[in-house]
Amino acid sequence: MRRLAAGLAIAVALAALPSWATNQYQVHLATLIGVYWVLIAGLNLVVGYSGQLSIGHVGLLAIGAYVYAVLAGTWDWPPLLALAASGAAGGLCGLLLGLPSLRLPGFYFAMATLAFSLIVAELSLAMGSVTGGGTGLAVPGFPAPFDTPGGLYWLVLGIAGIVTLLTWNVASRMWGLALIAIRDSPVAASAAGISIFRAKLTVFVFSGVTAGLAGALFAALQSYITPDTFAFDIGLFFFVCIIIGGRGSILGPFLGTVVLTALPEVVAPLAKLGNFFYGALLLVVVLVIPEGIGHLVEIAAARIARRRRHESHVVQPDLPRLAAALARGPAA
Amino acid sequence: MRHLVQAIALACCSVLATAGSSAMAQETVRIGWLSSLTGPLSSAAIAENQGVVFAVDEINKAGGILGRKVELLTRDTAGDPVKAVNLAQQLVFADKAQFIIGPVNSGEALATVPSLARAGIPNIIIGSLDELTNPAKYPLAFRTINTNTQWIAAANAYAIDVLKRRKVAIIGDTSGYGTASAKAAAALLAKAGITPVYSVLVDPNKTDLTDEMTKARAAGADVVMPWSAATGLCARLLNTRGDMGWDVPIVGHPSVMALPLKALLNKPSYWGNTFAAGYVSTTYRDGKLPERTQALMDAVKPALGGEIGFTFWWVALGYDSMKLVVYAATKADSLDPQKIKDALEHTSDYAGVYGTYSWSPTEHNGFPDSGMAMDSADTFNEGSYQAAPR
Amino acid sequence: MLSVIVSGLAVGAVYVITALIYNLMYSTSKVLSVTTGHICMLGGVFGAWFTTVLGWPVLPALLGAVAIGTLFGVVTELVAVRRVLARSDEHLWLLSTLALATMTQQAVGLWWGTEPRRFPRVIPQDFSHGAADQKFWLPIGVMVVAALGLELFYRRTMWGKLFQATSEDAFAARARGISTDRVRMMSYAISGALGGLGGFAAGQLTFAYFALGLTLTLNGFIAIAVGGLGSSVGALVGGLALGLLSAFATYLFGGEFQQTIAVGLLMLVLLIRPEGLFGARGVRAV
Repeated sequence: MRRLAAGLAIAVALAALPSWATNQYQVHLATLIGVYWVLIAGLNLVVGYSGQLSIGHVGLLAIGAYVYAVLAGTWDWPPLLALAASGAAGGLCGLLLGLPSLRLPGFYFAMATLAFSLIVAELSLAMGSVTGGGTGLAVPGFPAPFDTPGGLYWLVLGIAGIVTLLTWNVASRMWGLALIAIRDSPVAASAAGISIFRAKLTVFVFSGVTAGLAGALFAALQSYITPDTFAFDIGLFFFVCIIIGGRGSILGPFLGTVVLTALPEVVAPLAKLGNFFYGALLLVVVLVIPEGIGHLVEIAAARIARRRRHESHVVQPDLPRLAAALARGPAA
Repeated sequence: MRHLVQAIALACCSVLATAGSSAMAQETVRIGWLSSLTGPLSSAAIAENQGVVFAVDEINKAGGILGRKVELLTRDTAGDPVKAVNLAQQLVFADKAQFIIGPVNSGEALATVPSLARAGIPNIIIGSLDELTNPAKYPLAFRTINTNTQWIAAANAYAIDVLKRRKVAIIGDTSGYGTASAKAAAALLAKAGITPVYSVLVDPNKTDLTDEMTKARAAGADVVMPWSAATGLCARLLNTRGDMGWDVPIVGHPSVMALPLKALLNKPSYWGNTFAAGYVSTTYRDGKLPERTQALMDAVKPALGGEIGFTFWWVALGYDSMKLVVYAATKADSLDPQKIKDALEHTSDYAGVYGTYSWSPTEHNGFPDSGMAMDSADTFNEGSYQAAPR
Repeated sequence: MLSVIVSGLAVGAVYVITALIYNLMYSTSKVLSVTTGHICMLGGVFGAWFTTVLGWPVLPALLGAVAIGTLFGVVTELVAVRRVLARSDEHLWLLSTLALATMTQQAVGLWWGTEPRRFPRVIPQDFSHGAADQKFWLPIGVMVVAALGLELFYRRTMWGKLFQATSEDAFAARARGISTDRVRMMSYAISGALGGLGGFAAGQLTFAYFALGLTLTLNGFIAIAVGGLGSSVGALVGGLALGLLSAFATYLFGGEFQQTIAVGLLMLVLLIRPEGLFGARGVRAV
């Protein structure tokens, strides 16, 4: 009951953000965080839960963005329909990418996704007649009531909320446990009857759909997309948000996304360092806190709530008692 | 426990969100300056920055705009369009900028111009892509730099009318600027009745151009026209031409005569037979520069360390763009965007250093065709060049 | 046509060197490091820096580049691999090497600049030699020397045998008294030296460019995946095949589809023969 109340309070606060934000820039930033979160929530299932290290998801983001820009712009489709189509396109490409790559071991899979994102970048330049090549495309916005900054924010918030709910459901039910089992011990998982490839592929396709949706929303937010918008750096950024936030949780990556998106805006010197900062942060987290910062926050919160952590029971021999029993000799 | 964590999360979000805003005093005129001080095109941006900063000092010493000091808000976009849009939004909404100059990079400008237009803020455009100004779509955007068409037209005129060449090879790069320029160049040539014998777009970081030049030569090209703002690519192009021993003239984008090329050439002689679109304001005529240019050079030189080791028209462009804000505000006697727009749209022959500008309600590109010139690439001297032979 | 073949072989040679480095690192640590390409990048960038900025003559600059490469290899092992291997989580080394690679690339980008910068002539030579230009033959030469050298190393020297022992069965090696930590450090140091040398030799072909690291990591990986992890012959065949394929594709179709074609090759081989052309099919007891 308390959790429901807290959740509702936060939802209301987030929904009312355009009113309590002090200026439009903050709404813009909040919308950008929301867009990133739509993608990262899906990617979280792939990276955080099933342990497939996809560093090239920016390719799917780009596909979603370009599909939306072309459908809603060049072909004049209704924007909401184009949005749905972007999600479908993302899912389809996720399927096409996942089918050959998901069977490969970890490093091979990561390189395959990296190569995929480079191919998408290359094709978006090469297929100039469709994508506008280096010049890029202007992107139409959504119709009323989503055509104001506040309106777009609400659209993004709504979609982000649905996606979060879906991923939370997956994560906390049996699927989520299955994914974690696949990540930590594939052999044991398959011995327990989990169809590894099918699970990984399903999750990957889902992450493709969310990436496609995020791409369309991102394009509408930016109002103009060019191939350089989708450099490999953003793919790395998404990946880092999840790892830093902590694999196996939903809140952790969400915190990671908020912090990493807002930080360069607030701390200007960091903006210049750019990717170096993300790399350094990733290295520190991996070496020192592999469970992620989200995990640290949970520990801190548990300390504050002063609830005892679940202690594992180590069986120690009770030596005095043993000695006494031996001295007593066998029972009669 | 979960809800406590969620509350902490919300608190973090709020803190970070509100940290982005700042309290602003109302006494200054805040001018946002979006430039790519790091990343691609940084050399141009850094030089333009010199001009802008110098102009701000000069303006403030003379009393500011309408009696108020100018506060320059510089933001480094690092060549990233997402960052450029974010920073533009930040400047307008959080920092309450009243004018925006820039961005330098056409790719970034394509993204920020619509968003600034929606915000209703006057935007001085210093990117050359033609699409950046549109009196109907972007009523408050006014351009000081020449348009891409002017560069291409000047180069084409030189190649066709002066050098009397007809078999053109166009080499562009795959950036936003390069793609648009190559297309525009081909279109302008078509108007003169010429079809390029070879046309290609290469990655600006491509290191080996032998393939492209060989194919151009095989197609019978008698002039090569590069349209790329990447100095490294231009240097490699010149090197390939020299290594091949092909004495075809190269006529094109000003990058082809940028000073950094000197260090990148395999042999200094490779810079010969190369001509680029330049400006009357930075071309020596009988050994002398126009008065205004010389005056600005003398005034700015101390601040630049006593010598000018880069293309000077960048500095002049930055300087003029900042001074234009003063001119517009003074003429309109107000900072209201609509009044500024009216003032600028009824300006003709405003004499700057870089050029003499005119705007009208239907024309938001201020640089005149008469301000264009063609220069010889290897004649760099203190920021300006000798005219190309006619 | 000849120049296309020669340039394909030269680019392929760089990929072969990267693939050999992958093999070396993998042999003692079972880690495929994302920093592999960055070693070569550092060799090229520092080589250019030593010669053009600091004005050193060629030989000290070469030694300097090799030293930098070795240092970076050692740093990779210490920072990104050693602590991480101690934990049981399989994927962490991918993350740590990815982080280190990103940091290196960005730091070099901030320091050296984001444009490819000129790499000076190593041997005095005119520019008019076309296909016989040293920028093609230096990498090919280093590739041959490296491949032969590594073979000799593995078969004839004690350290080579130690490497082979560690790669075949690390537990047995430790049981026989081999300090696997030190062997691993050695292999990373040698990889670094080889990468520094390769990057220096290839500098005139690739230019001193900060973003080269990631490109080489990916392409070197494609070479070794196609050729078969753990096999030197595989590295040779994979790298040269990839180089030639890219050169011909660029020549015939223009450079616009280079990545697509390279990855197409990879996917094709992996679908048909997942362990690569010369790789051994790994059987693992569970």
